[in-house]
Amino acid sequence: MTIKEKLEILADSAKYDASCSSSGSTRANNNGVGNAHVSGICHSFSSDGRCVSLLKILMTNACIFDCKYCINRRSNNVKRAIFTPEEICEITMNFYKRNYIEGLFLSSGIIKNPDYTMEKLIETISLLRNKYHFNGYIHAKAIPGASEYLLKKLGRLVDRMSANIELPSDSSLKLLAPDKKIDKIDNIMTTIKQNKNKAFVPAGQSTQMIIGASKETDLDILGKSEHLYNKYDLKRVFYSAYIPVNKDSLLPTIEMPPLVRENRLYQADWLLRFYNYKVENLLDKKNPNFNVLLDPKADWALRHMEEFPKEINKVDYYNLLKIPGIGPKSAKKIISSRKFFKIEFKDLKKMGISIKRAKYFITCNGKYFINSSFLKKNFIQSNLILEDKEKIKNTGIQLSLFGE
Amino acid sequence: MNTYLYDGEYKSLLSLINVLIRDKIEPLNIKYEKEYVDSLFDEPIYLKLENDKEISELKKSIPTNILKTCYYAFLSSEDNKELAIYRFIKDALIYKNGIYYRRNLDSVNDIIKYSHKVSSELHHMKGFLRFKKMKNFYYAEMSPTNNIIWILPSHFKERLKNELWIIKDNQREIYALYDRKKVTFLKKDDICKLDLHFSSDEVLFEELWKTFFKTIAIKERKNLKCQMNHLPKKYWKNMLEMEE
Repeated sequence: MTIKEKLEILADSAKYDASCSSSGSTRANNNGVGNAHVSGICHSFSSDGRCVSLLKILMTNACIFDCKYCINRRSNNVKRAIFTPEEICEITMNFYKRNYIEGLFLSSGIIKNPDYTMEKLIETISLLRNKYHFNGYIHAKAIPGASEYLLKKLGRLVDRMSANIELPSDSSLKLLAPDKKIDKIDNIMTTIKQNKNKAFVPAGQSTQMIIGASKETDLDILGKSEHLYNKYDLKRVFYSAYIPVNKDSLLPTIEMPPLVRENRLYQADWLLRFYNYKVENLLDKKNPNFNVLLDPKADWALRHMEEFPKEINKVDYYNLLKIPGIGPKSAKKIISSRKFFKIEFKDLKKMGISIKRAKYFITCNGKYFINSSFLKKNFIQSNLILEDKEKIKNTGIQLSLFGE
Repeated sequence: MNTYLYDGEYKSLLSLINVLIRDKIEPLNIKYEKEYVDSLFDEPIYLKLENDKEISELKKSIPTNILKTCYYAFLSSEDNKELAIYRFIKDALIYKNGIYYRRNLDSVNDIIKYSHKVSSELHHMKGFLRFKKMKNFYYAEMSPTNNIIWILPSHFKERLKNELWIIKDNQREIYALYDRKKVTFLKKDDICKLDLHFSSDEVLFEELWKTFFKTIAIKERKNLKCQMNHLPKKYWKNMLEMEE
């Protein structure tokens, strides 16, 4: 098999992992090749609009597990390949020096047993760090069930380590990934959290959930995320719209991957991490799923019209963040500027803050942007939905897969 | 009011601005001499300047990060950037670092907008630049909108510190050469013919990269608009994976 054929197979089977982020590490170039860039760098964008930052490959797509949704499951009749450690190092170094990539994202199917697989990953990454003197970004997948001393060894070599939770509930995991045990993923996350420091997984850990392969609601999914953020200090939870690659009676049949739902979950995830929202603010048993027509923040605002309008020159940081269209950057700009002058609508525009969405929810020095008698819930709602549609038409769905 | 001309160097611009502010001269415009277009109603003026003395005067009264913002704005491709820098510096002398929060002033917003354009293209190019491995060095060509070749190399100097490399700005015909110690900037005329013969493994790794790039996309999620939005077409011609 040529190296090109191997790359084709092992990149193809790695592509369903959503994470391609290369941020959060400040690893320096210790007289070798490469360093990490704290904010991460996108080197290209593939035809699905996703950022390409890392050489994302599997070491091998051979696997002893039989997870129903996975293209690489044992029972599938697909071409199998395996890279040698040297091959992975050569491709990484040559791609890196040509500035194609920011680093390596190495994962693997499980061969023989978890410890053996983990040792192979460690061998490859040690070679890259110590013989090739590579100081660029490395994200490695931890193999569920591998021994703790191996996790610790790998953690000292990489910038990010992660284990995928795969499905939002234990019962779905049992059903669809019978070989993966939730306690083994818990173990990995606990080990990473306990050992994390400047020299051990400096860019932190992340995880991924498949959306739409099992029956959970958005409330279940986001509740799980909130739990993971609190318990393990995860940097990111990635959501991956289910794409049917296998036929199985336990799996749903769908025409299109649920991309809009995925996008709403990312937006809500952002609200949990940067906007001080709790899941219970956004969803409840009566409304367990997000409105596909409106982003979660606008949806929340429309259900809480009694909180608005908010006066730009008065309300505190967290109340500014509740205004649709105002994010952390804009809120900080507003706070620091209004000490010096009274902010008018025209100033917001000058500061580069779009009021397209915000204008229905704010006053500047007591003044509304439009006649306040128009500001009824239905009117605002239909305008926001219209504006959303326009944005998607012009730019494609904004996938919030990168950045921290 | 008149237009004041300078020789296109950042130092000379700062020096000129210092003189204008010191002597309370309100310019109609400030232009690089080669970009100035004659006008019936305007008598352009070329002042004699003592660069170093005047710049150190300016540096004493203005914080360094403000001068950095001005430098980035200077590298932008905006038409009236010089006048904008003059106005910004004039206000910065009053407000010092507090200037960044005076977002009701046009002088501030203009300069922040221009410098932001430059820093954002700089960040993009850190990712989008493509080196080709030649027999003796790595070689990259780019055609950025803004004049970022002056500020881009420091990133690669750290990252590829043990390699030899050259970055060329195709439009401005400026070369940045790195010799494992320092970066030198050269104009087209200062450079003898470069030996642009591929190293023996160049074709293989280009092929592998294109294969990887094609394979990593999920066809069920195809979204060319989103791709184009993140990776504007103007960069494609220097990116091998986008050529076809």
